Amino acid sequence: MKTTTFIILLLTGFALSGNIQAQKYATKTGSIRFYSEAPADNIEAFNKQVNSALDTQTGDFVYRVLMKGFQFEKALMQEHFNENYVESHKFPNASFAGKITNTDAVDFAKDGTYEVTVAGKLTIKGVTKDVSEKGTFEVKDGAINGKSTFNIKLADYGVEIPKTVMKNIAETVEINVDVTLAALNN
Amino acid sequence: MKKYLKIIAALGSLGLIAGIFVFVFVVNKSHPDYEHKKPDFTLTVSELYSTYQNDNVKGSATYDGKVVQVSGALSAVETSGNDIYVCFVLNEGVFGAEGVRVRMLENQKKLSQKLEPGQAVAIKGFVTGYNETDVVLEHGSIVQ
Repeated sequence: MKTTTFIILLLTGFALSGNIQAQKYATKTGSIRFYSEAPADNIEAFNKQVNSALDTQTGDFVYRVLMKGFQFEKALMQEHFNENYVESHKFPNASFAGKITNTDAVDFAKDGTYEVTVAGKLTIKGVTKDVSEKGTFEVKDGAINGKSTFNIKLADYGVEIPKTVMKNIAETVEINVDVTLAALNN
Repeated sequence: MKKYLKIIAALGSLGLIAGIFVFVFVVNKSHPDYEHKKPDFTLTVSELYSTYQNDNVKGSATYDGKVVQVSGALSAVETSGNDIYVCFVLNEGVFGAEGVRVRMLENQKKLSQKLEPGQAVAIKGFVTGYNETDVVLEHGSIVQ
C-alpha cells in the first residue's frame, strides 16, 4: 500500500474513531533537521513546517515533510539537494507512518518523559523502507513533545552521490525529529 | 623569457579572478532576497489552495518552487518556538483547519504579530508545496 494512501486511511481512522478527542494530537509546525559530517563541509538543513499526528490510544504516529521546505545555510547546497539528490520536483514529500510498539510503557495522561520505540515505513524519494527507531515522548501541560534521532543511509533511498563529490558528502546522515503535538479540537 | 613570464602571470591572474568569481557567485552565492523578489504569480489564497486541492500534480507543476503573492482574509497568526506563521483557513479536515500557511521572514515577525484575524492582507512567499492539508510557503513577507 502506498504510504500516502496509508496516511490518508490513518487520518480518516482518526476522524472516524473520534470518541475521545484527547486521544488525537497533531501539529503543523514540527521540525526535522538533517546533518551530515564530512571532511570538506558539514551539511545541515532544517524544515519547520512538518505535519505530524499521533493517536495515543492506538499508538499510530505519522509525519509528512515537504522536501522543498528544507533550508540550508548555503544556497548552492539547497539547489543540489533539491535538483540532484532528492529530486524534489518528482518526489515533493517524504513521510513516515507507523506505530509506537510499546504504548504500555507510556501514560499519556500523566506528565513525564517516556522512552518509546516507533516502527513503521519511512518513504524518501519514492522509496519506502521499514524502520524501527527509539525516541521519547514528553507529556507536559496537555501537549506531547516527540523527539527522535536516527541515521539513514542515503543509498537505501536511491539518493545517489556523484563520485566527484563523494568525499564531500557522508553516506549516512543524521535525522532529528522534534514535534510538539497539541490535542485536536475537531 | 620575459614574454613567457608575462603570459604565465596573465593566465595566473585570470585563473585567480575566475576562482574568486566562482567562489563568490557560485559556491558561496547568497539565497534569493525573497522579500524584494518580484512574484511569479499574484492570486488569492483560495485560488492557490483550490488549484492544489483539485489537481495536486497541476498545482505542484505550476507553483512549487515559485514566489507567489497571495491575498485573502487572515485567519490567525501562530507562534511556534521562534517562528511566526500567518495562516489562512479555507477548509476543515481531519488535521483540523486547512488552507495556506506561511512561515514569515525574521524581519517580518513584529509586523506579522500586529495583524488581526479577519484583516485583508497580501503576503509574498516561496511555495514549498502541498502536504495533503495545506499549501505551505516559506520566507513570507507582508506586501500590504
